[in-house]
Amino acid sequence: MSRVRSYNLIAIAVMLTASSALAHHSFAMFDQSKSVTLQGTVKDFRWSNPHVFIQLLVKNDAGNEDEWSIEMTSPEHLARVGWKPGAMKPGDKVTLVIHPMRDGSTGGQYLSGTGPDGPFAGSPTPSGEGK
Amino acid sequence: MTLRRLTLAAAVLLGCLSVIFVAAMGASAGMPDWSGQWENVGGTPDASGGFNQSLDQVLKTMQWGPPNRPELQARVDKMVASERKRLEAISRGEDPGGVDVRACTFGYPLLMLDSPLMFEVLPTPKETTLIFSSREIRHVYTDGRPHTPKDELWATPWGDSIGHWEGQTLVIDTIAVKSPFASSESEGVAVMAFGDVEGEQTITILSSQAHFIERFRMLDKDHLEDQMTVIDPTSFTAPWHLSRTYQRVTHIHRMVYEDCEGEERNPVVNGRFTLAPPPAEKPLPATAPGGAPPAPSPAPQ
Repeated sequence: MSRVRSYNLIAIAVMLTASSALAHHSFAMFDQSKSVTLQGTVKDFRWSNPHVFIQLLVKNDAGNEDEWSIEMTSPEHLARVGWKPGAMKPGDKVTLVIHPMRDGSTGGQYLSGTGPDGPFAGSPTPSGEGK
Repeated sequence: MTLRRLTLAAAVLLGCLSVIFVAAMGASAGMPDWSGQWENVGGTPDASGGFNQSLDQVLKTMQWGPPNRPELQARVDKMVASERKRLEAISRGEDPGGVDVRACTFGYPLLMLDSPLMFEVLPTPKETTLIFSSREIRHVYTDGRPHTPKDELWATPWGDSIGHWEGQTLVIDTIAVKSPFASSESEGVAVMAFGDVEGEQTITILSSQAHFIERFRMLDKDHLEDQMTVIDPTSFTAPWHLSRTYQRVTHIHRMVYEDCEGEERNPVVNGRFTLAPPPAEKPLPATAPGGAPPAPSPAPQ
């Protein structure tokens, strides 16, 4: 289940005002009823605000490489559960579980993953608890 | 003999220095040590942007139960129904419109009650400062001053706070709070609680006349507690008592900036949210051999 409490500011603002503008930081583009496992090679690990991104090269059915954009939470939140800016490096072979984009484009929301040194911080263990 | 005199002189000097040192450090003498970083119990994030408590757990922890006046309850019911429609549109992947909230400004009392931010508490005899990773700061003056006189006071998202110590408990009194989100003070100050699933939330609204009293203390070496009473006759039929417990943050032992103002990552295309990762960082300029900085570029002609 995807959890999105970090962006509750939008809800507060919408509930308090009638102004109209775009609502940012939504997770609406992800299909949170689906989980997809990707195996690929890290092209870039972008430790950036407001959210960290993993750019992942994944072979498609035709044998060509697609570049996926996998979104995570903020650097501050990742650091609080043990992530570091160098947790992934270009060339790393990784397996990631994501909620995919609703529109079928090559992107998703990070859920958990395993890299060359084992499960990444915060990844669920078989008991269901975070690492 | 000379050695004894030297030893004695050194001991006297050391003693004097100790007295001077203690006097110089008097600012923290007798103050509780609340150093470190703190987060809501249940507020530890996960890598996907979520947290670990259901709405029921959060409400139980906070002792949620605002004694809303009937007119406020009617307003809250209307807001909740409107928000439900917005969330239904979002669940279809549509942009329902809303408010551009890119700065991580939570404001008080939400900072204390249900924010995902970590914070530090710095007690000194004359002021205790609470610093949040959003770079929001609460100043609690404990030098005996009263609240700011009415003719010098204006409401802010963090209010006007004074306090005093009762043993190791900091008692904080806060007034003049306004919402960082509302377009006018009459819209009030939102207090919300959120569950771990989008749409699981509840709300009440305080008036600009709300008066807050907190009892802030350390429960044990790894837990702080804030017992809050909200007195707001405009909104409530009785004082509202809430409670929050904070735990030490693990894994990171310094404050970092939770910046919501970075690159736009959710451009709306044809009325639907899309995903746009930030550009790759440019490599740092090369350093010349010997550690000297690179030669400056020629000035433009």
